[in-house]
Amino acid sequence: MRKPLLTDLLVFAFMTTLPCLDLPGQETAGIFEQPLLITSAGQNAEVQIAAVLAKRAGLNFTLSKQATGADLENMKTLVIVLGASLKGLGAAGLDMGKERERVMALITAAQKIQVPLLCLHLGGETRRGQQTDDLIAEVLPLAKMVIVVKSGNGDGFFSKLCQPKNIPLIEVEKTADTQAALRKAFK
Amino acid sequence: MVVAAHPLAVKAGLEMLRRGGNAVDGAIATAAALNAAEPFASGIGGGGFMIIHLAREKRTAVINFRETAPRLASPRMFKDKGEEEKEWRTSSGLAVAVPGALAGWDLALRKYGKRTLAEALADAIAIAEQGFAVSATFSSINKDEYERLVKNLPEGSSYLNEGLPYEPGDRFRNPDLARTLRLISSSGVKAFYQGEIGRKLVAAVQAKGGIMTSEDLASYQAVELEPLRGTYKDVTILTAPPPASGGLHLIQFLNIIERWPVRTWGQNSVPYVHHMSEALRFIFADRERYLGDPGFVSVPVRWLISKDYAAAIASRIRDDRPLESYPFGEFKQEEKDAANTTHLCVLDRDGNIVALTQSINDFFGTGIVPEGTGFLLNDHMDDFAADEQSVNAPGSGHRPVSSMGPLILFRSGRPFLALGSPGGTRIFSSLTQIVLNVTEFGMGLDEAIEAPRFFSFSSGGKPGPIAVEARFPEEVLTALRAMGQEIEVREAYDKYFGGAQGIMLLKDKKTILGGADSRRDGVGAGL
Repeated sequence: MRKPLLTDLLVFAFMTTLPCLDLPGQETAGIFEQPLLITSAGQNAEVQIAAVLAKRAGLNFTLSKQATGADLENMKTLVIVLGASLKGLGAAGLDMGKERERVMALITAAQKIQVPLLCLHLGGETRRGQQTDDLIAEVLPLAKMVIVVKSGNGDGFFSKLCQPKNIPLIEVEKTADTQAALRKAFK
Repeated sequence: MVVAAHPLAVKAGLEMLRRGGNAVDGAIATAAALNAAEPFASGIGGGGFMIIHLAREKRTAVINFRETAPRLASPRMFKDKGEEEKEWRTSSGLAVAVPGALAGWDLALRKYGKRTLAEALADAIAIAEQGFAVSATFSSINKDEYERLVKNLPEGSSYLNEGLPYEPGDRFRNPDLARTLRLISSSGVKAFYQGEIGRKLVAAVQAKGGIMTSEDLASYQAVELEPLRGTYKDVTILTAPPPASGGLHLIQFLNIIERWPVRTWGQNSVPYVHHMSEALRFIFADRERYLGDPGFVSVPVRWLISKDYAAAIASRIRDDRPLESYPFGEFKQEEKDAANTTHLCVLDRDGNIVALTQSINDFFGTGIVPEGTGFLLNDHMDDFAADEQSVNAPGSGHRPVSSMGPLILFRSGRPFLALGSPGGTRIFSSLTQIVLNVTEFGMGLDEAIEAPRFFSFSSGGKPGPIAVEARFPEEVLTALRAMGQEIEVREAYDKYFGGAQGIMLLKDKKTILGGADSRRDGVGAGL
């Protein structure tokens, strides 16, 4: 899979300006609070899967595919499911530019009220690509923790982005395993 | 040789040929196996078209097994649902048209085959029972359609893995489908159209707000048609006529292209992409205006595929920039013509050929599965136009216009290429590019299928962007943008542009090339 120039530059910038850290013993249990707002970055189908997994994990959540800052009221955690879907964007009447604006405005609003960000990437290798990678490179450094399905990080893309920022990165073998990782991450 | 979108389906077709079946037997065995192995794209809950060339008789026939609208269908049936119209069109009982696949398979076997329906279904039953490892394609489509599946599938359905999408490598089994196909094997298609399966089908449709009745199902008939004929230079094209539109528009497109020096321009060059995108926009204007079920409305087929009309369109296209609007052609009223998918091709040792395209429309159709049957119901009512005044508005018993276009191409009276593809409205554009890759640019079939594709369209006379696969050189895209074309870059190998399958017979008549699309799980094999 060809990695886009923008993403390459961002990864290069992180790797050269920040030290590569060895991150054993990072805290990944009980670091988030409920209730949580789940949305997607890229209008992917995995956001629906995340909602089912959150439900099975017994979490108190709200799903809003096109969430804005207003939806953060009373929320303690923002969960963003990463992955661009042209089909999903088309169905929502959005393009990547508008979607990026929405997501970044939402994260800015969350930061203002100190709501932490948990990022998920559940689509594996098939939910990578130029648009997805560019979005991930922009959003991921703002996360407090990241959970990815292992095949999506086959090229170490997520590791390279998380390491310099000391962001805990949890790899799960299968999408279903995300349920346990979610349960563990929340108080 | 058999070429299809899943290796198990190819194996089923080859087994049928090995056991002495002809190309029609092989095609139906392959089509049925696809229901088990690639259930998200086609099956007995859907419909399609096939074109059959009989070598000894030197005759070509088309079987139309496109679904029909229920008798209670009407032009406003979706409009009246308000803002939720789209959901009703794609994931409710109202989205389901009367399935035609089984009737079409049965008609083809009875008229042109040597084997029974039960024999053709045997491998499909085995695949459904024993299962197979899910591919990355299956898994990603399963994830993409998750929301619809969660909404409509019953608890414990085979189409999800404990309520979640399948991962690559997971085993998919469908014992309910095996039971359904076994019942059809023993009782014939009446078990489906007039029996137990049909009752479950109608109950499932009505439970989800649909209007289909047992009468609709019992009265369904597949029909045999004369093929539509066109030419491109020394090539004769035979394809399915309306309500299939893929072949008609391919002929119209090639008629326009015939006037241009495409070989000089070069494949996927700036003038090539620009001119062809402009032509596509005119064709979509005609499609919007004229294409409906020829059993009910007048479709000016003869005009649309005439060389004079192609010349008129070509003369309006500018070399240096896109137009602002793309009007449809105006023709004298004629008498009525008498009249997201998978594709397969089969060639037998006697030279008989079948090109068959079948579909349940969107991947996983409506996501509705009649209780205990294991097959998905189509959402082909969505192929009717949203505009109640359209010639393709929903109507009692109408067949919605389809983009399918199974083709057989001939040179000097001999078939040399059988071809088809899924891909919705991209079908004829993709097939045209493959035909040009072979005939103008000298590519082998597989190279022609794998080459980067593009697509454009118009809506209401206004141009859509040019969608291209990411493998297009940046300098070509930059030049197109400089001309005023809007470009939408998609994935490098994007399912959006279809998943073509074909068989090519070279001049020496001894070499046969199979071409299968890596945009899906396509594969070809011979005996």
